Amino acid sequence: MNLILETVLSAAFVAAVIRTTTPILFASLGGLLSDLVGSLNVALEGMMLIGALTAVVVSAYAPWYVGVLAGLGVGGILGGLMALFHLRFKADVILVGFAVNIIAAGGTVTALAYATGGDKGTSINLPSKAIPALDLSFLNAIPVVGSALTQMFSGHSYLTWLAAFLVFAIWYFLYRTPEGLRFRAVGEYPAAAEAAGISPNRLRTYGLIASGALAGLGGAQLAMFNFVGFTRDMTAGRGFIALGAVLLGRRHPIGTAIAAVLFGAFEALSIALPGILPSVPGEVIHMIPFVVTVLALMLSSKRRLTA
Amino acid sequence: MTQGRLFLSETGRIAFAAAVALVVALVIIFFASKTPLETFDVLLTAPLSSKRTIGTWIDDSAKLALAGLAFSLVFQARQFALGVQGQVYIGGLLASAIALSPLGHSWIAIPIGAAVAMLGGAFLGFIPGYAKAKLNANEIVSSLMLNYIAYDFTNLFLRLYLASPKSGLTASDPFPPTAVYPAFLPRTRIDLGIVLALASVFVVWFLLYRTAWGLKLRLTGHNARFAAYAGIRSNFIMVSAMTVSGAIGGLLGALFVQGTGFAKIAIGFEAGLSFEGILIAIVARNRPLAIPFVALGYGYLRQGAQLMGYRSDVPAEVIGIVQGVVILLVASSFTVPGRAFLTRLTGGRPAAERATTP
Repeated sequence: MNLILETVLSAAFVAAVIRTTTPILFASLGGLLSDLVGSLNVALEGMMLIGALTAVVVSAYAPWYVGVLAGLGVGGILGGLMALFHLRFKADVILVGFAVNIIAAGGTVTALAYATGGDKGTSINLPSKAIPALDLSFLNAIPVVGSALTQMFSGHSYLTWLAAFLVFAIWYFLYRTPEGLRFRAVGEYPAAAEAAGISPNRLRTYGLIASGALAGLGGAQLAMFNFVGFTRDMTAGRGFIALGAVLLGRRHPIGTAIAAVLFGAFEALSIALPGILPSVPGEVIHMIPFVVTVLALMLSSKRRLTA
Repeated sequence: MTQGRLFLSETGRIAFAAAVALVVALVIIFFASKTPLETFDVLLTAPLSSKRTIGTWIDDSAKLALAGLAFSLVFQARQFALGVQGQVYIGGLLASAIALSPLGHSWIAIPIGAAVAMLGGAFLGFIPGYAKAKLNANEIVSSLMLNYIAYDFTNLFLRLYLASPKSGLTASDPFPPTAVYPAFLPRTRIDLGIVLALASVFVVWFLLYRTAWGLKLRLTGHNARFAAYAGIRSNFIMVSAMTVSGAIGGLLGALFVQGTGFAKIAIGFEAGLSFEGILIAIVARNRPLAIPFVALGYGYLRQGAQLMGYRSDVPAEVIGIVQGVVILLVASSFTVPGRAFLTRLTGGRPAAERATTP
């Protein structure tokens, strides 16, 4: 037990949490933006997966940032498609979202086979690039805490810092700008917003596009930093966990970010645990993030009901 | 609408879905294959190429029908519980535990296996329902999380207690013959599972359309507020719908492991089939009696895609794209498929516009 505490309280573990949180955080922020305007985006998982594959394939032929932008772009396009089918053709948003997930699971394997000339499992033969890490070793100069700070914050991907910045940018957008007020109004009570001359469908479209773009960024981070290269189903439920983070975070950017960090921490724990407790079966450790998500969801929802 | 016209319009919609599926498959194959015509030929004719492949097609269709049935029941109550996959794993695990226990050496393993699997699945279906009713927890996320948990739990239990060292701890020993569903046609997978699937279709149809519970369930799904005014306890309906759906999912698990196709339990035995039940439910518009037909049609395409994966240069996963596109198009409401679009293409104005402008 002491060994676990020692691990969890170490600077290296903080760094691991930051690393595992980043993809989830991107996807949760995306989920937040679409959930706020009233369309729960269950397609985060599939959007991350397609974003990851696109980023990997494009980065094999172009600089890394083009790969990242491609992941972002393809996510945005998927969000736009969801908006088209949901708002224009009146399909249920959950079904549309699941259709995207199903297309993503099958489509990424097909597209990978096509892009690599036959590999169905991984992109190992594709010379894809990684997102460079931001070196903050100058923090070492700070007395006493310098080395710990370096260990925690140096060497993360550029996207990690973008994600952290986005938490505050989205908060500012939602709570300090007129358009953000409209966003929240549509989510709160669409009829009133409509009476005030705001088109809910326009904002829902923006919400879904932004949500897809952010999920695509999460996928790019996953496949170009956390792992370098694409493997089938590599998102492994992170998109759904991100959806849980949105619900747990009470549709607030800061709350969502805290929830994402919580889930990221348990994922990091599940990566660190096999080294500390070899006697615990791998399946149990693998379950941890999902158990935590479902428990957190149940406990937090209850409080909301009684409040 | 009369029964006859309803039947016609429903059949038309299913035909539309089938046409979409074929066109999408053709387009993908055209891009992905070096020999598109041969590949398309495999997709369309391979399932009928031997007695064995026909048997596999029928058997998969029975499983797809059960998965579709499980989804349609919750969809009818407008609950998006997506936990069928987890229920299949737990159901399969429990049925395997029965089949590999001393009970497995008598015919009783078949009914008890199915019953225990259904209980396990029902419990797993009950959790998200109860959590939603009592704790207001979103059923989509909780049921999806339970899928992952059930998968890991099944693998753990399988590895610790059921697996045989010969398989490298990835599968159990074959079940004793008494615990395996009897096959109707030797050397095919056409077995008792077909009967169980059809019986479930009938039972669910009866529950939905011939009992008060079913009426309440459908009312809650159509208009929850109206149902509440009518004094229907929608929470009870919701939880019970998810529980019954879970039992069907569990039964599907028993069908998997005790059917002649496997006759043992292996890691990941479900191979993603459960989620394909969404397509079946959507295309059949959640109507139990339409489900077997949709399942047969989709099962054929699926079987064709699997064989195409072995015999050509196009991976079987292509079926996922076809599936997603069909769900998208069938769930959307085009007034009449493409009519407005066609008028616009041919230069005419849509009817609504004609009516308003002189």
